[in-house]
Amino acid sequence: MLAASILLILVSGAFLYWIRPHTRVWAGLLSALPPLAVTVWQLNAALPLLSGAGAASGGKADLQNGTIIAEHYRWIESLGLELSFRLDGLSLLFGLIISGIGVAVALYTHYYLEDDDRQGYFYLALFAFMASMLGLVWADNLLTLFVFWEGTSVTSYLLIGYSHRSPVARGGARNAFIVTAGGGLALLAGLILLGQASGSYSISEIIARPGLAEHDLYPAILILILIGAFSKSAQFPFHWWLPGAMAAPTPASAYLHSATMVKAGIYLLARLHPALSDHPLWLWALLLFGGTTMLLGAVFALRHSDMKALLAYATVSQLGVLTTLLAFRSEAALLAVVVGILSHALYKGPLFLVAGIVDHATGHRDLRMLGGLRRTLPVTSGIALLAALSMAGIPPLFGFVAKEALLESAYSAAEHGDAAGWLAFGAAAVTGAFFVAYSFTFVWEAFLRPAPSAETGDSTSHSPHSSVATPIHHPPAPAFVAAPLILVALGTFAPFVLKPLSRVFTPAAASIAAQPVHVYASLWHGFTPAFLTSLLAITVGIWLFLIRSRLRAFLSQLPDNLRGVFLFQRLLDDLYALAQITARFSQGYTLATQSGVVLLAASIPIVVALRQINLNDLFPTPLAIPGAPETILILMIGVSAYATARVTSRLGAIISLGVVGVSVTLFYVFFSAPDLALTQLLIEVLTVVLLVLVFTKLPPDIRPAMQRWKQARNVLVALAAGAFGFFLVLFNSSDAMQAALSISDYFLHNAVPGGHGANVVNVILVDFRAIDTMGEITVLAIAALGGYALLNAPRVRLPTPTPIQPESEQPTESEETDPVAGTSRLNVDPPTDPKAE
Amino acid sequence: MPELYLRLLNRILTPLLLLLAIYLLLRGHNLPGGGFIAGLMAAAAFELQILSRGHDRVRRSIGPYLNSGIGLGLAIAICSGFAGLLNGVFFKGLWFDLHLPLLGELAVGTPVIFDLGVFLVVVSVATSYLLGLSRISDSAAPIPDGASSLELSDSFESDPAVVADDSSLRSER
Repeated sequence: MLAASILLILVSGAFLYWIRPHTRVWAGLLSALPPLAVTVWQLNAALPLLSGAGAASGGKADLQNGTIIAEHYRWIESLGLELSFRLDGLSLLFGLIISGIGVAVALYTHYYLEDDDRQGYFYLALFAFMASMLGLVWADNLLTLFVFWEGTSVTSYLLIGYSHRSPVARGGARNAFIVTAGGGLALLAGLILLGQASGSYSISEIIARPGLAEHDLYPAILILILIGAFSKSAQFPFHWWLPGAMAAPTPASAYLHSATMVKAGIYLLARLHPALSDHPLWLWALLLFGGTTMLLGAVFALRHSDMKALLAYATVSQLGVLTTLLAFRSEAALLAVVVGILSHALYKGPLFLVAGIVDHATGHRDLRMLGGLRRTLPVTSGIALLAALSMAGIPPLFGFVAKEALLESAYSAAEHGDAAGWLAFGAAAVTGAFFVAYSFTFVWEAFLRPAPSAETGDSTSHSPHSSVATPIHHPPAPAFVAAPLILVALGTFAPFVLKPLSRVFTPAAASIAAQPVHVYASLWHGFTPAFLTSLLAITVGIWLFLIRSRLRAFLSQLPDNLRGVFLFQRLLDDLYALAQITARFSQGYTLATQSGVVLLAASIPIVVALRQINLNDLFPTPLAIPGAPETILILMIGVSAYATARVTSRLGAIISLGVVGVSVTLFYVFFSAPDLALTQLLIEVLTVVLLVLVFTKLPPDIRPAMQRWKQARNVLVALAAGAFGFFLVLFNSSDAMQAALSISDYFLHNAVPGGHGANVVNVILVDFRAIDTMGEITVLAIAALGGYALLNAPRVRLPTPTPIQPESEQPTESEETDPVAGTSRLNVDPPTDPKAE
Repeated sequence: MPELYLRLLNRILTPLLLLLAIYLLLRGHNLPGGGFIAGLMAAAAFELQILSRGHDRVRRSIGPYLNSGIGLGLAIAICSGFAGLLNGVFFKGLWFDLHLPLLGELAVGTPVIFDLGVFLVVVSVATSYLLGLSRISDSAAPIPDGASSLELSDSFESDPAVVADDSSLRSER
């Protein structure tokens, strides 16, 4: 059923594409059904867990730790790969978030992209993403997980770059893809090392096995996996791709870049927590990077007045919080992670969706231009207010529960005299204050305050001083607002139903801990130090909110060229420059330079190989005397090769080169290789005829004579290439080589029984070595693209005394009557049709 | 340009060459031939067409199919590889024995289909090159005073600006 759910999502994406959803009123509702079905199915499957049979008072290990569903499918058995899925507490939590938020986002998309004829494409990519994400969190095999991980990177790229005509969107998509896919490479290496070190690729087996932290490879595994997870979850120093990804349409931002995909890194860390966390390196790496990220994100959120950029930095900060919490091993911290993940999804998702509604309704989303929307968009404003208060961590909202859990766990770690605990506690408190400040900023500036007057923004073209609210162009449809409303309602009620919810939380925390946990989230802890800190943070946050304009002014003075995006762009530019230098060096401006570099580079390994053997062994001991036909051919080849080099006319060179080729063909015939002979002969015919065709039309060769040193250089390179080719052939046909490792016998013996073909050469091409051939024809196709560009590029048109006639425009009649044009075209025959005349 | 003997040859040879190409393709698994050779042979037929009828007319008749031919060939080749998955492994051959009314027993397998893909790619790539180059040759005319240089010549090493700037060429007019 797990695999079937993934397939269902994929297929429904294709179906939505096919029905052209922008033309159908009901497409939004329809699109919400598949994720809804998956949500309901998961809840149903987890019913024993949720009904409280085992979880109520936290004792029954079988259900708490246990797998709800496990599935295994054959994949590539010859490589030992299998597709395996497992639903347990943690995957259930993530699966519910993915499909549940997916319901709201799918519904919302239809209205956000109304009348956009690429809506179907968006749905296709969105559902492909959803399927990958579900596969990622349900995977129980490291490599299965990796495949879906890459799937999310690719689909995220497509979604960010949805507005592919905008350079901002393309740049954001490219940066996000380079970072996450680069991190994915590191992750692959890390996962393979992990699989090798622990002897199994099954996640459930790996986390059940103790002692990985003592393994020699542990530091390498940890660092590689952390690079993967940090790049995906936008942790410092990779955090900057996330704000850039805000070029995506808002539903994608809400779904991928706050609720689900960026949590994939967090998920991975949580999943592997039991196996990897028992080491100081884990603690300090997660604490330092997570702590830096959360402070950085929280502070920089205030700087931005674009609603989505603000939310993006807020998300970065929240991801830092989750990473920091995962550094610890205490049950309280793990529970705080779980609560934090859910509460974040339930307030940040709606906030993004609200930003999209505002953008859709007013035409912009810059806080400096907005105001007073509570009058014109009352429901949306209510949603924004509730969600923002939750983000700020104001009691009694869900965000408050999460923040309490965070501060409690950090404080309890600090109480034990743990330096790490104090660091986390301090960072969390400071971050909490900034959370309050930017949440208030968001909701105050867009919705509550009166609209800004002319001097604050440049958006005054249609709303001068008089208005109290930013004007609305497209009032949102009810179903459009319903999407965030559902989410925010869930988030608002959640704190009051914590007891049933803990049946989801506790198994999820237990999955992270790989043992039963006995802590519960609660709304009210009493006047604990954590609560007092929370109050203090709110007070400081309000103060920060009041002085926000000064903070913004200060933050915007920071030099731009220290920002991650700019550094990355510099890096890319330098890389391109380096590529250009190497290309200039290795490819040069002429064919001679280029082939010289290739030939010399190819000869290096041959020289190295030849140094290992005695050259005398290469020559066959009784040196065979070639017969008369061979001798004649050799002479012919030698003479015509020399002629090719010496002859001055192009035609002469082409013809003598053709003689070389055909003579070689005859050699193949002598040594009974008809396939090679046929191929070579055809190639020779085609090229000679073609070259004659082209070169007779070219103007005479009037180049200045080649300099002496260049001639000498070319001769040397050519001689070296010939010598290396000679030795290579000798080496291949030497007795030692033939005796040792000849694969020819295998091919000869297996061609008919295995390949059903008597022509061994062909069987090798299409069966034994079919993948090689596949690669070759792919190269051929790419070369055709290159040739197309080369032959059709304007600068390759050869210079003519007359203007080049655009093709198929006005047949040549007028031209022939024009004496000037007629004479200047000299010997170019106009492509006339003889029959027509 | 199209001379009489070429047009005559074209009438006779083009169908023969194409038939020969198909023959080579079909028999390739057991006798000399195969997709690559057959593709080149078909391209030779098209080259004869270009020579005898002019590249414009050939481009009009088969030009639109070339790009799709490349794509189709690659798709066929890849699909025949995936068909091997039914047999357990990517690109593992699948074979069927067909009983045809006139030809008798015929063994058809995914490698043969793969060869068809190779044929399509080779013929399309080769023909599009031929068409492209023959157009270039058509638009070129000798420059009497040798004021400018040619793309293929060695002299760009000394003056890359000539390549970079098309307008310098246009100004010759």
